[in-house]
Amino acid sequence: MDILIDSLLAILTIYLAFRCMLAPKLSKAVFVFFAFGLMLALAWIRLGAVDVAIAEAAIASGFIGVLMLDSLRDFSLIFSKNQERLEETASKIPVKKDSYHWTTGLALGLGLILFLLISIQAIWEVPQGGGLTAIAEANLPMSGVEHPVTAVLLNYRAYDTWLEIGVILMGLLAIFAAGGLKQYRKPGLAPAQDPLLRKTILIFTPVLFLFGAFLLYYGKMGPGGAFQAAVLWGAIGILLHLGGWPVFTFIPRRMRQILVTIGLGFFLILGFTQMATGGAFFEYPPAYAGFLILVVETLAAISIAAALTAIFAFLTK
Amino acid sequence: MIKEIFIVILLVAGCFFFLAGTLGLLRFPDLFSRLHALTNADNLGLGFIAAGIALYIASPWATVKIFFIWILTLLSSATSSYLIARFQREQEKSKNGKEE
Repeated sequence: MDILIDSLLAILTIYLAFRCMLAPKLSKAVFVFFAFGLMLALAWIRLGAVDVAIAEAAIASGFIGVLMLDSLRDFSLIFSKNQERLEETASKIPVKKDSYHWTTGLALGLGLILFLLISIQAIWEVPQGGGLTAIAEANLPMSGVEHPVTAVLLNYRAYDTWLEIGVILMGLLAIFAAGGLKQYRKPGLAPAQDPLLRKTILIFTPVLFLFGAFLLYYGKMGPGGAFQAAVLWGAIGILLHLGGWPVFTFIPRRMRQILVTIGLGFFLILGFTQMATGGAFFEYPPAYAGFLILVVETLAAISIAAALTAIFAFLTK
Repeated sequence: MIKEIFIVILLVAGCFFFLAGTLGLLRFPDLFSRLHALTNADNLGLGFIAAGIALYIASPWATVKIFFIWILTLLSSATSSYLIARFQREQEKSKNGKEE
């Protein structure tokens, strides 16, 4: 029975990935992408990686899906306005059949084959017998948390997680740099007039906040943590923007900058504090580790949520 | 034994509504009737399956959680269906307005 479900999931995932890439229309590709994300999340659950499944469903499928839907709307608006003109220009442009030279395809193909071979070799060389699992679990009492995934992310490999928060901030900065800050200062969307939508959003806001807080705290003992909580909190910001309350643009500019950077900053300061008292970079004293991890996770979640809201608010101005 | 029979009946009923909803989504002629088919699947299908699973797990906390999942899905699917329908209606209105 299990093998049946797993193979069905595997086939569906690959099939949907192909359908997504080969979809003739942009809108179709976006909707297939949602289904693909769902399958991927289910696959992660079947593999026992619930942390990854939540992150996949929330960030990769949910947040990116929302951004895609929004750009789809922009496209369709532009298209419906200029449809006649677009068709006119399109008919004038001579269609080039060989716009991609065969060498490009060959190079891409060879690169992919090389990548595949390296991946297979890497899998081959994974040490038998669980790799680092035993070491990770043996040191759990010292890490301050009870869930091995959280221990790896926030304690053993805190440096990686710190950089990940940095990546999100870099993404935000890149979007600002590409779009220009001037437009960003304008209030967000025009107030949505729909009372039903606004009411639903008001019902969902406390639920999302509570569930995010739960995931944040629960990360200590099981699947959950800063990133998963951050997406739920970010979803509050996005929903409020959609409902005509552009919360993020109401917050003073200085405050926004603090919100977006506090996670990264506090994490870094904490890492250096340990060096000052003679420890290693990002080494926590075992006695306070649990508390420090909770503080770091909370601030990181606030920063990521603010960054996600900012990205959405900026892209959909 | 009685419990198992109940679970199977609930799950089969849920699957039936999902099947009917999918069929409607694929076969119905316009957006509004398609939305109608979809909400049948969401509300009744998911409701039956949630009830079946709650009976299967048979733990009070899990039942409460499953109930909330169902309620939240109902809320979001009803609102999004309404928004899609409203958007369609406004488009049709503006189209008709142009033609007249």
